[in-house]
Order: sequence, then structure tokens, then C-alpha cells
Amino acid sequence: MTVSSGPTSGTVTSFRTKLLLAMMLVVSGLTLLGVYLAQRNVAITTQRNLRQSFEAELSWLHRLQQLRNAALQERCRGLAAKPRIHAALEDNALDLLYPSAKDELADLMQTEQQPAEEAAGSLHARFYRFLNVDGIVLPPPNPKEVGELAPDDEKRLALKELPDRQQTAYLTEKGTAMPPVVDEVIFVPIFSSETNEIIAALVVGFRPFELTGVHVRAGMKSGILIEGALHLALVSTAARKTLGEEVTQAIASGDRTKGSFTVTVNDDTQLLFYERLNANSLLASAYQVCIYPLTESIARQRRLSWQIGGAGALLLLGGFMASRFLAMRLAQPVEQLALDSEENRAQRQRVEAVLESTSEELERTARYSADASHQLKSPVTVLRTGIESLLAREDFHPNVYEELSALLHQTRRFTSVIDDLLLLSRMDAGHLKIDSQPVNLVQLIEEWLEDLAALPEAFEVAVEKEFPKSLFIAGEKRYTSLIVQNLLENARKYNRPGGHIRVLAQQQNGEVMLRIGNTGRAIALSAQEHIFERFYHNSETSVAGHGLGLNLARELARLHGGDLKLVRSKNDWTEFEVCFHVANAVPVTTD
Amino acid sequence: MGSRGLILLSAILACFPLSSLADAIVEGRVQLPEARAAPVMAKRYEIVTTGNVLKTEPPLAVVYLEGSFPKPNPSITKQIGQKDLTFIPALLPVRVGTKIEFPNFDDTYHSVFSYSPAKRFDLGRYRPDERPIPSKVFDTPGLVTLRCDIHEHMRGLILVLDTPYFVITDKEGRFRLSGLPSGHYLLKAWIDSKTTRKQPVDLKDGATAHVDFP
Repeated sequence: MTVSSGPTSGTVTSFRTKLLLAMMLVVSGLTLLGVYLAQRNVAITTQRNLRQSFEAELSWLHRLQQLRNAALQERCRGLAAKPRIHAALEDNALDLLYPSAKDELADLMQTEQQPAEEAAGSLHARFYRFLNVDGIVLPPPNPKEVGELAPDDEKRLALKELPDRQQTAYLTEKGTAMPPVVDEVIFVPIFSSETNEIIAALVVGFRPFELTGVHVRAGMKSGILIEGALHLALVSTAARKTLGEEVTQAIASGDRTKGSFTVTVNDDTQLLFYERLNANSLLASAYQVCIYPLTESIARQRRLSWQIGGAGALLLLGGFMASRFLAMRLAQPVEQLALDSEENRAQRQRVEAVLESTSEELERTARYSADASHQLKSPVTVLRTGIESLLAREDFHPNVYEELSALLHQTRRFTSVIDDLLLLSRMDAGHLKIDSQPVNLVQLIEEWLEDLAALPEAFEVAVEKEFPKSLFIAGEKRYTSLIVQNLLENARKYNRPGGHIRVLAQQQNGEVMLRIGNTGRAIALSAQEHIFERFYHNSETSVAGHGLGLNLARELARLHGGDLKLVRSKNDWTEFEVCFHVANAVPVTTD
Repeated sequence: MGSRGLILLSAILACFPLSSLADAIVEGRVQLPEARAAPVMAKRYEIVTTGNVLKTEPPLAVVYLEGSFPKPNPSITKQIGQKDLTFIPALLPVRVGTKIEFPNFDDTYHSVFSYSPAKRFDLGRYRPDERPIPSKVFDTPGLVTLRCDIHEHMRGLILVLDTPYFVITDKEGRFRLSGLPSGHYLLKAWIDSKTTRKQPVDLKDGATAHVDFP
């Protein structure tokens, strides 16, 4: 590519740079957007997966709980149906209550051989107690058979009022060592099979189901929040306390049933879920709390963002090269365009300058001729008046009168030349405006023919007339009259003795055509193309003329929207044709 | 025959010491609680538990005279049968030392037992042809609730009293105790397992005292 001039080169370079910048901006924007969207997608997917995992765990837990609760309920219904239980409760034989229930509840309790690990999550109870109708815990005669509890913890099982439906509560055993053992305690009312009254309640304590085993993702920890205290194994006391406070706050301020949030403890970001365990319980609410470490997920996100970032950088580089190439390609026609437009502008400026100078010149010329005409008119008038006054004297020699008459004729001719010049200069300057009115062309012709006939001339010519009674054209009368006068005068002036003039006027196709032909010597072929030029005078003719008439007549005809042209000039016949527009409206009266 | 008659006479004499042997009468009416529902069977009573309280339905009361009376004849034997899956009678007041037999008149097993502090026993499962008829001697005053381990709805009440003078009221609560010794006593009306009313009564020989339990 060739760059010819300085400014053009600068413009093109700037255009190319801008294009490049814009394209790079777009590519960077798209890359950043891609990174952002991908990261968000990963984060959302991770959270959704973890949430689904948590919900799966919980639903598994709930199913187990339901199973256990249904089994318990059935067990209690069976117990209530037992006369011995009724007897023990109603006949003041509480010492016989536990022995009476022992057989019924024997399989409820875990066997001593059962390892503790298996007991967790099993359907076996850790302990059971009966509450009497007043909600007081009935002491078992042999605690070993019904699961041992510290006396303080046993007292905490008491209720103010027995519930009329199964309730689940969570109990932290204070009597045991740290970390405290958490029991899932189920209160089952025992209804009298006879009167349907609540006669007692069975309280069964289980180890809470732990979210362990195949359901648990690596790193997930689950625990239970009871009265603001979180029981979560494998977490330090401080972290447990912080987490407990966080969850309590979240429950207090947000959803009381379930929720999730991200929490950072000991620089580990974790996703925490909580959901109420005993949703329909009248007792103190407890929440299952699960924490999932997000460290891996965050690392994965970071890795991914590096990958996407790298890809973005590559894309950026590719984009940079592509945009550079594209910018060059796109800039090429623009550069050509810039060059062309530069040339065009220079040309236009040149043409404008020429036009301006021409117009100035024209104006100056027109002004000059107008000024000249005006300046000439007054002395000519003075001259003519002087000659006329001299002619009026009677004391001169007759030769002098002849001389004076010739002079007067010359001054008249002079005046007419000045008038023509003045008109032409006005036309040239564009100052002449046509006040278009309907003009009766036939009347004009008739008037001028009469004037011509009245002229004292050397020879007579016959006039042949072919026109209708009236023909109205659009124009200004004084100027159309000038055209007709010019043509008729010429027809007479350049005629030969015994010749004739033919005047033909007719309307055709919205135009009025006037043809004036005369006999006489034809215009030389070489002169024919110059006769309409200003001040052109055919040297071959002997007839006097100042060379302005035809030029003026044609200019005026064109000003009227028509034209004047030489039809033919040979074989003793010269004929001119002038066209006018037909008048739109014809006056009613003509004179 | 003669010797046996003598023994019987001496026993009766031992029961009714001459000093207090008299024929005082007490009668009156116990205000019974409203019946839960209209009785379905006229002569049939059942034991119901409401708010851990055992009572008969329709309501009945046992009126008895409390006092220090001579030891009873140990040979008194009464029966509470199990018929049509109910204890008949549903409520039986007895004197301390009475032996009660529990014959099974149904075509099924019954397993009569009691957890009541006054008498804890368990007769185990037995058929109607069980011989000898399972029985228990009730030697501690108090209320004994009979249950059947097989038929949870079956209930029976034995009111073991330390007095020979007792009677079950009629459905309106009316009672009449005759052949009572003269003296100052407490007349008690057992209405349900948690309600026993008492009124002091002065008994005079040949006179009829009138006591109402509002």
C-alpha cells in the first residue's frame, strides 16, 4: 500500500489503531465474561451438588426416623393394650411397670454384645423410661435393664404435660464426658385402650443417626445444634462455638426451618446447611447441621479460572492478530477512500476557485457594461438634442441639413446599441426577471408590420402572413416585442428589391412557433454558426448592423423558456424560427 | 352333726359378742355420680377407668360400718366368675380373710391377676375345667383390681373390708344395713377407687338411723 501524503497517513493509522483497540476491547470483554460465567457456573454447580447431597442425607435420615418412629408408635400401642401395663399404672404398682414392659420392649434395647459403633444409627434404643400421667419420670427398679442415665439427665426427661402425639427432642447428656453424648429422645404418649385418655408416656432415647457411610462425601461433617450449642465431632471447640453462633444467628434472622450459607472457620471456607430435625415438635428445636469443605471446590474453581484465563489470553493473542489483520484489511479501502476524497476535495476546491473567479469576472463585466451604457446614454441624449435643435434652425446650407440628418440617424442607432447593451448586461448579471403575462403575439406582429411599412425605404417587399387571428403566449410584452421587432427588421433589412417576407405563426404541442422568412442573399455557411454571437458582423453584407440584435433576441427567447434558431439560409431564402410557451390564461378582452 | 352345730354356734357367738349384740339399723342414700351413659344391660356392671379412677358403670357404692369387730370366721368363701369375658360380679365387697374362687365359665382361657397393693397375685392361664378352682384368700383391707392378662378390657373390683357390716347400694344409691351393734361408729361409702365418703353414726338398739351421703 502506498501512502502518498502526510495527513492522510496519520488519519489512516489512527483509524487502524482505533479499530484494533475496539476489537481488542471486545475480545478482552468476551474473555472476562467467559471467565466470570464459567466460575459462577462452577460455584453454582458445586453448591447445588452439595445441597443435593445434603438433602439426600437428610431425606435418608428422615426416612430412618420415620421408620423408627412408626415402629415405636406401634410398640406403644401394643404396650397400652397390655393389661399388665394398665395394671401397673392404674393400680399403683409402678414397681411392676418396668418388669411388665420388659418383655414387650426387650428387643428395643440394644444388646450388650452389640458394639457401640453399630449401635449408632441402629434402631436400638439406648434407654427408655416411663412418665406417669403428671409427666414425672418413673424411676426404674433396675436401670441396667432400661439403659443407665445420670440422675440429672433422667430428671430432664420430665415434662410439664404429656404430649398428645409423638414428639422428638434432643438431649445433651450432661453427666457424660466431653464431648457430651447427644440423644434423640422420642416421647410417645400411651393412650388408655379403653377411654383413649393419656395414661402415661414412653420416653425412648436413641443415638442420633449419624450421616456417615456411603452417603457422605469426603470431608462432610454433620452434627446437631441443640439450644445454640453445636455438637459436631472432629471439630475443635472454638470452631464448634463459632459455627454454633453462626447457625443460631442465621436461624434467628432468617429461615427457621432450613437454610445454608458459606462460613469461614480457621481459614477454611465451608458451605454450611442446617435443617430443623423435629419440625413439628412442641419441644425445643434442634437442627441437623452439615458442613462441607469448599477448599477443594475453590481450588477447582481457581484451577478452572487459570485455565479459562489462559485460554482467554490465547484467545486475546489470536484476537489481537486477527484484529490487526482485519484492521489492515478494513483500513485498506478506507485509506483508498481517504486518498480519493483528498483528491476530490482538491479538485473541487480548484473548480470552485475557477468558478468564483469566472463569476466575479462575469459580474465585473456585466457591471462594467451597465456602467458604460449608463455613462454613454446621457452624452448621446445631449448630442441628439443638440443635433435636433440644429436641424430646427433654418439658416444653414441645405447640405448641412443633410449632414445633420445623417448625424441624427447615427445618434439614434447609437442609442439603440446602448439600450441593447444595457439589456444584455442586465441579463448577464441575472437581474432581468420576466413578469409573465398573456401576450397576443399576432397583435404584436401586426403592429410591427405596420411600423415597418411606414418606414421610408429604398424598395418595397411583399409580406405574406399565415397566422390565426390571435395567439397568446406567456411572456413580458416589451421583451417579446423586441424579439419580433428584431426578426422583422432583419427580414426587411436583408431583403432584396422585389423580394418578400413570410410570417407564419401557429400553435402546436403547447408551444407557439413563429417563423419569419425573407428573400435575399443567404448567410454564408461559415457565418451561420456565428450569427448569434455578440457583436458578430458579417463583413460580406453591406447592410448596417451593430451585431447585437440576434444575440439579444435569442437571449430573450431563452429567458422566456423558448429558443431562437436559424431554420435555413440558402437559395435566396433565410428563415428564423422562435418558440414561445402558450399562455395559460387568456384575457377576456383584447385590444 | 351336734358337735358341728355347737362349733358353728360358738363361732357365731364369737363373732357377735354379747355386749354389742344388737339389732340396730342404718339406712339412707348415697348421692351417686351421674351415669356415663344409659345402662345397656339392666343387671350388668362393668369396671371403668376414668382419669386413673376405677368405678362401676353404672355407678354403685359400697356402704360399710367401720370399727373394731371380732375376727371373722376364716371359712367364708365367695366366687367371682368369668363369664362372657367379664367378671361377675364386677364389684364384690368382702371381709378380710375371705377366700375367693375365680371359676372360668367361658370356653376360653383366662389369666386373672392383680397388681393392687392390697393383694398381688397371678393365677396364670387356665381353662374352665381347671380344678381345683383357682382361688385366693384376701387378708389385707383395700381395693383389689382384677384383670385378665388375655382380655384387656376385663376388670373386676374386690373391696376387702375389715368389717362384717357392708352392703352394695341399689342403682339409686339407697342402702339398708341391719343387725348392727349399737355404739358410735363411722359409716363409710366407697364410691370409686379414689372416693370414699364417711359420716359418723350413733346406733341404738332397735332404732333405725338415717344417714345420707351427699
